[in-house]
Amino acid sequence: MAEPKIALRAENLTKTYRRGRELILALDDISLDVRKGEFISFIGPSGSGKTTLLSVLGCLDNATSGRLAVGGKTVFSEQRRLSERELTKIRRQTFGYIFQSFYLLPTLSVYENVVLPFAFFRKPGAASKPMEILRLLGLDRRLNHRPAELSGGEMQRVAIARAVINDPEILLADEPTGNLDTKRSEEIGEILKILNAQRGVTVLLVTHNPALAKIAQRTVVLRDGKIVS
Amino acid sequence: MAQKISVYQVAYKNLLRKRTRSSLTVLGIGLSAWVLVSLLGFNRGYEAALNKDIDNMGFQVLLTAKGCPYEAATLMLKGGTGLRYMKETVIEDILRHPEVEDVTPMLMAAIFDPNKGESGGISAYLGVDPATYPAMKSFLKFKQGGWFTAPEGREAVLGYEVAELEQREVGDQMLIPEKNIELSVVGVLARSGTQDDGTIFLPFRTVQKLFEKEGLVTAVGIKVDKNANIEELENRLYDLPDVQVVSMAQVKQTIMSLVSTAKIMVFSIALIAILIAMLGVANTILMSVFERFQEIGIIKSVGALPGDIFRMIWTETMILCLLGGTVGIAFSLALSRVTDVLIRRLLPYTPTGSLIHINPQLALLTLAVVVGIGLASGVYPAWLASRVRPLEAIRSEGE
Repeated sequence: MAEPKIALRAENLTKTYRRGRELILALDDISLDVRKGEFISFIGPSGSGKTTLLSVLGCLDNATSGRLAVGGKTVFSEQRRLSERELTKIRRQTFGYIFQSFYLLPTLSVYENVVLPFAFFRKPGAASKPMEILRLLGLDRRLNHRPAELSGGEMQRVAIARAVINDPEILLADEPTGNLDTKRSEEIGEILKILNAQRGVTVLLVTHNPALAKIAQRTVVLRDGKIVS
Repeated sequence: MAQKISVYQVAYKNLLRKRTRSSLTVLGIGLSAWVLVSLLGFNRGYEAALNKDIDNMGFQVLLTAKGCPYEAATLMLKGGTGLRYMKETVIEDILRHPEVEDVTPMLMAAIFDPNKGESGGISAYLGVDPATYPAMKSFLKFKQGGWFTAPEGREAVLGYEVAELEQREVGDQMLIPEKNIELSVVGVLARSGTQDDGTIFLPFRTVQKLFEKEGLVTAVGIKVDKNANIEELENRLYDLPDVQVVSMAQVKQTIMSLVSTAKIMVFSIALIAILIAMLGVANTILMSVFERFQEIGIIKSVGALPGDIFRMIWTETMILCLLGGTVGIAFSLALSRVTDVLIRRLLPYTPTGSLIHINPQLALLTLAVVVGIGLASGVYPAWLASRVRPLEAIRSEGE
C-alpha cells in the first residue's frame, strides 16, 4: 500500500517575537507531518501557540528557524525566507483560510463575497461552478442577500465558501465557531467534515471547543508553544 | 449570474459603505473642479470677449485729445471718448497717411438731466458721422428704422437698452434737457451685446451745433489697412500736436494688465481649493484603509497581491476624483452665469459678452488635472494598504 503523500512538513519550527523588551517563544521546536486529505484539530489553552502555528503552517508568517515544506517544496528554511509576494503566491495556490470573524465585505452580496477571490486570482481548473459550492453549503437561496441580512452561521458558511472557491488543497480554520452557538457550531463542523470527505480538502482546525475537535481524525495538543500529544 | 467580480466593482462598492463621507469628498472635489474649470474658461473667455469688444469698435486706432491713456482706454470701451477736444482739422492730417483707409469723427456731449433716476443723472450723446460711422460699424443691426436721414437733422438713433429704458420707438420724440430741443427717434438698434446698446447716437454736425462745439471733435476712429504696420503709424501720429493715440492692441494690453492682479488672486484661491480637496481625498481614503485594515488582510489571504490592493485603493481614489471632476464640470456649465456675475464684481473692467468659455477640451483637461492630482494624493493610502499583512488580521483577534 502506497504511503499517503505529505501535504505539509514542519521540522523543528520555532517562532519568537518581541513584546516590548521581552522575547516571547511562541513555537518551540515543532515537528509535524500533515498528510494530504487529513483532518487535524489543534487544541490547547490560550497562548499555547495554536494560531501562531497555523499562521506559520499556512504561510501567513515566516518561522524564526526550522524548515517548512508545502507539497514537498521547501518554502522556509534557514537558507530560504520568502518575501510577502512569494508567500502570497504560495498561499493562493494552496491554502484557504477561515477565521473567527467572518470579514465579509458588507456592500457585496453573498454571491459576490464568495467569488471575491476570482477578482485577484483564479486557479486553473478551480471551482468553475460557484453555484455547486453555494448549494453544498446551503447558500443557494441567499445569493443576493447582504451579509447584514444573514445569521452568524450563514455568514461563516459564506466565509467557508469564499475560502474554498479556488479549490485549496489545505483549509486552515482558526476558531471558526468562536462566534457561534452550539447548533451553528455543529453545522460548521459538519461542513468541514463534508469538505474533507467529499472534496478531499486537508483541514487544519484550531479550536477551544472539545466537541468540535473530536470530528478530526487526529488531534494535536499544544502547550507553551510545544506539541505535548 | 456573473461568474466573477472585478477589482473595479469591489472598489466602487467599497465607496458605498460610507455614503455620506464619499459624497462629501466628491462634493469637495467638485467644488475645486468648478473653480478650476471656471478659471480656465475665464482665461479663454475674457480675452475672447475683449477681442470681440475691440473688433466691434470698427476701427483699430483711436485718436483723442492728450490725457490719461488708461482713462481714454476705459472710456472708449465704456462708450465714451473722453471729454477733451481736438480741432476737426486733425482729420485731414490723419488722412495724409497712406495706411489710413478711413476715419470717422466722434463728438461726445454730456448734460445733466434732472429727470433721470431719483436725483437726476448725466445723459450722454455721441455725435457720429452718418457718412462714415455706419460703414465702419456695418455689423450693427436695426430693430426698427435706420440711420439718420440728414447730416444735420435733429434725429436720434437709440441703442437697444436706451430704447427699452426710455420706452421710445421710431417716430417718438425725445427731449434734450436744459436745451429744450426735441429729437425724432429714427432708429432703434438691435441688441449687440456691446457698449452701443447703451448709447444715444446723434448726427455729428447736430451735436457740434447744439452743444456749441463747432470745429471740434473728441475722438477720431481710424480704420487702418490690414497689412499696415500699426505701430509705425502710431509713432507718426504722435507727431500731431496734443493728441493721444490709443491702439486696440494697447487697450487690450492695458486692460489685461489691470485684470492680471485679480487673475492671480483667483488662481491662488483655485490652487488652495484644489489642495484642500486633495487633502480631503487623501484623508477619506486613508481613514477607509485604517477602518478596513483587517478586511484588507483577509482580501490578501484570498489571493490578492500587494499590487492588487494598491490598484483597488487607487481605483477608489480615481472613482472619487472622476465623479468629483464630473460634478464640478456640470456645476461650471450650469452656473456659468452666476460665475460670470461674481467675476464681473471682482474685476475693474469686464468686456461685454460671456466671460467664461468652457468647451469639451477644457472640460477634459480639468478632469485630467483633477484625476491626476487625486491619484497622486491616493498614492500613500494605496501604498499603505498594499503593505498590510494578512497575519495582522488574524493577530488582532488574539489567540
